[in-house]
Amino acid sequence: MASPKTVPKDAQVMMQILKDMGITEYEPRVINQMLEFTYRYVTTIIEDAKIYATHAKKSTVDADDIRLAIQCRMDQSFTSPPPRDFLLDVARQKNQTPLPLIKPYAGPRLPPDRYCLTAPNYRLKSLQKKVSSSAGRITVPRLSVGAVSSRPSTPTLGTPSVQTMGNKVGTPVSLTGQRFTVQIPSSQAASVKTATPTTPGTVQNVLINPSLIGSKNILITTNMVSQNSSSDSSGSLKRKHEDDDDYDAL
Amino acid sequence: MAAVQDGGSELESEKEPQPELLNDGSAAPAAAPTSKLEEQQTLLAVLQFLKRNKLTEAVDALRREAGLSDEPEEAPGSEAGGGGGAAPGSSDRTDASSLLSRVSAASQSAAAPAPAKGGEDQPDVSVVLSAYSQQGDPSLYQVYYSGLKKFIESVLDCHRAELSQLFYPLFVHMYLELVYNNHESEAKAFFDKFSGDQECYYLDYLRVLSSLTKKEHMKGNEMLLDFRTSRFVLRISRDSYQLLKRHLQERQNNQIWNIIQEHLYIDIFDGMPRSKSQIDSMSGSLAGEAKRDDNKTKVFYGLLKEPEIEVPLDDEDEEAENEEGKPKKKKPKKDSMGSKSKKQDPNAPQQNRIPLPELKDSDKLDKIMYLKEATKRIRLGPESLPSICFYTFLNAYQGLTAVDFTDDSSLLAGGFADSTVRVWSVTPKKLRKVKSAADLSLIDKESDDVLERIMDEKTASECKVLYGHSGPVYGVSFSPDRNYLLSSSEDGTVRLWSLQTFTCLVAYKGHNYPVWDTQFSPYGYYFVSGGHDRVARLWATDHYQPLRMFAGHLADITCTRFHPNSNYVATGSADRTIRLWDVLNGHCVRIFTGHKGPIHTLAFSPNGKYLASGSTDGRVLLWDIGHGLMISELKGHTDTVYALKFSRDGEILASGSMDNTVRLWDAIKAFDDVETDDFTAATGHVHLADNSQEVLLGTFLTKSTPVIHLHFTRRNLLLSAGAYNSQ
Repeated sequence: MASPKTVPKDAQVMMQILKDMGITEYEPRVINQMLEFTYRYVTTIIEDAKIYATHAKKSTVDADDIRLAIQCRMDQSFTSPPPRDFLLDVARQKNQTPLPLIKPYAGPRLPPDRYCLTAPNYRLKSLQKKVSSSAGRITVPRLSVGAVSSRPSTPTLGTPSVQTMGNKVGTPVSLTGQRFTVQIPSSQAASVKTATPTTPGTVQNVLINPSLIGSKNILITTNMVSQNSSSDSSGSLKRKHEDDDDYDAL
Repeated sequence: MAAVQDGGSELESEKEPQPELLNDGSAAPAAAPTSKLEEQQTLLAVLQFLKRNKLTEAVDALRREAGLSDEPEEAPGSEAGGGGGAAPGSSDRTDASSLLSRVSAASQSAAAPAPAKGGEDQPDVSVVLSAYSQQGDPSLYQVYYSGLKKFIESVLDCHRAELSQLFYPLFVHMYLELVYNNHESEAKAFFDKFSGDQECYYLDYLRVLSSLTKKEHMKGNEMLLDFRTSRFVLRISRDSYQLLKRHLQERQNNQIWNIIQEHLYIDIFDGMPRSKSQIDSMSGSLAGEAKRDDNKTKVFYGLLKEPEIEVPLDDEDEEAENEEGKPKKKKPKKDSMGSKSKKQDPNAPQQNRIPLPELKDSDKLDKIMYLKEATKRIRLGPESLPSICFYTFLNAYQGLTAVDFTDDSSLLAGGFADSTVRVWSVTPKKLRKVKSAADLSLIDKESDDVLERIMDEKTASECKVLYGHSGPVYGVSFSPDRNYLLSSSEDGTVRLWSLQTFTCLVAYKGHNYPVWDTQFSPYGYYFVSGGHDRVARLWATDHYQPLRMFAGHLADITCTRFHPNSNYVATGSADRTIRLWDVLNGHCVRIFTGHKGPIHTLAFSPNGKYLASGSTDGRVLLWDIGHGLMISELKGHTDTVYALKFSRDGEILASGSMDNTVRLWDAIKAFDDVETDDFTAATGHVHLADNSQEVLLGTFLTKSTPVIHLHFTRRNLLLSAGAYNSQ
């Protein structure tokens, strides 16, 4: 505890109050809390009293105003629990009704929905850019798979090329389907990967950022070499083959 | 009496008869205009006084002279003087009683409103003429009290202990009456003189009283208001009571007698007067002891029958039947499997006394797990103590306010002062949320591991935080089926959280004041909560309003616990009593007094017969529910006992306290020493054996971590929890 010389008078008063009430152990912050509370309470009361005095067209605030202010604040913030006889009365009434029977096979037993907090408190706004379901228009702007070392001339899975690839594939790509795979013909893959050693048969699965296309997952399976799964597709979320990151040939 | 007065000073005199003014008649008229009103009042007062005393000549004289100045001629000064001299300060008993009778007579005839106003200037006139809500001259309270004290000290030893019980309630009631009637200085003097005589365990209440000096202070303090309106119960033997009655009536000390009749309830019993130690062990609560009638209702403390479960594995059958037979009181049917269902434990409630939820398939699986674990349970005893595993919460900064474990000890929940609730997984299995609705429609519902598939692996983590409360969380409780978690907080709500989605489902609003504790029933579906509003409420999860309200305590309810058969609820309170309530009709069936501090923890024994309680006085008390008696007290802790738990078979009682220790007590030994013959059962006076040292099996210290919660796993390993306190 700070020495009495440096402790302000108000704090000394608080310490004396605690001592009078028999409280010997307390954290030092308690004094600050008490001072804050006192200051706030007193200013609130005096402000209220001033309002009442001006309302009664008095020039100065007098004891009656203070008394009224205290009374009003007491009913508002410092309420005390109801008296015992009232509680006993209410309890007697409540305890007379028999306990309700429990319905069997009711699932989770919760009050009616009005009284629960299970309702959604948000609403979804519809997206501006509606992605249409015409074939081939897959917008995956940020993905490029395995073709980093190749020159941009080679088709990467960028926006335009996917379209073309999709067209080449010819499969009707429908965005409304849940999952679909776009198979990139191996011939093309081979042409892409001329510069890089090929490891045949590796299939790489890449998950495209689903938020771009809605909530569906689109799985694009390629027969390309798995080594060069680049990491510059910053937007893509998850790669099923995490170890490919090690082989970053950038 | 022959003092010379003039108009002004005459008002200060104590009923001095006015004839002396005749000498200064000249002075009087001069002063009269300035204090005309007061003189009039005094005049009328004196007139009345003289009339009452039948001093007719003086009355006439006064009337004659009234307009001129104030002096009747002569009143028999001796009588008036004698009457006047009997006013405040006299310690002569006969005068006191005569004044008393005059006061009562006067207060009834205090029909003169004007003279009453002159009270400030003539204190004794005001005393006589103002209307009191009760009789009695405030300055004589000290006289009455010291008179009683002298009497009790002179009485035989055997009665003295019992009659000394009167001191505290009389002291408090007299003090409160003085304060209520605005006699501040007399109240202060009364308090200073006699507060030191009271018992040490009333010190806390006396401190509260000392801060109560004005009538306005009383309005906000509902504890003391309740004390004023409720009756303090004293248990006194018939002989002592006769002594007291005789003394009070022959002394005409009606004031004390009035207080006794109005505010005290004396429960008279026939038999030997109790000794000081017996009285001390039972007293300490705010409302005295419990009346004998309060503890007479029959309580069904037996356990409910376990349902028959077709255990799929074959050799489990034997153990299953044995386990079901175990909790009963001495059931001789370990052999026959058929007759078990017919016999009913006379002390157990009917199965359908209160509606209970039926067992779902998952509950039955749980029960099978429980029975399997029970077979591997270690039998504890004085020779084989349990191992204790302590979970320390680090960096909680004194914010940990509540802890609970699930029954199978797989989850741990903590309530914090920053209004969060955190759930941890104690086993290596992580906590997972259920998938969103969109994902759930994708999974194969017919597969065997559908319960794992509905969990979202992406959300796996060791700890989940639940946000929702707006105040410190003071109570947490898991449901028995591990689907729900309850938390009660200072914001007045009790919240139900789902442990599947880790979101809040319902906020039950009813208490408008901090809720200090809450607990699920052992069968789920019901839960009880108790808080600052002195009422405990019984809720069901599917009703937004409470089903039962248990009102009767005089101060905050700090602890609420269900009986193992879910038919009774025990509440411990800051008024130092424990009450046992019947869920069926809300009646209070038992009141246990004896603690000297607010009660913070309760524990029922697994067989349902006994209740253990711990409080701020560091003692653990054991109660027999059936008879309503205190069985023993376990002394040892030096600080508040915050946690109590019986082992799974009831052989060991573990207690954890703020003094950073966990102590183990031999419960079987403590219960063995119960004598329950007719006398003790009728009067409730059990002689407690001082065997705390023999019953204590071990003390285990933590590193400056107060113990908040204790839990025995199904195999009788003791888990405990607390927050590290670096100071």
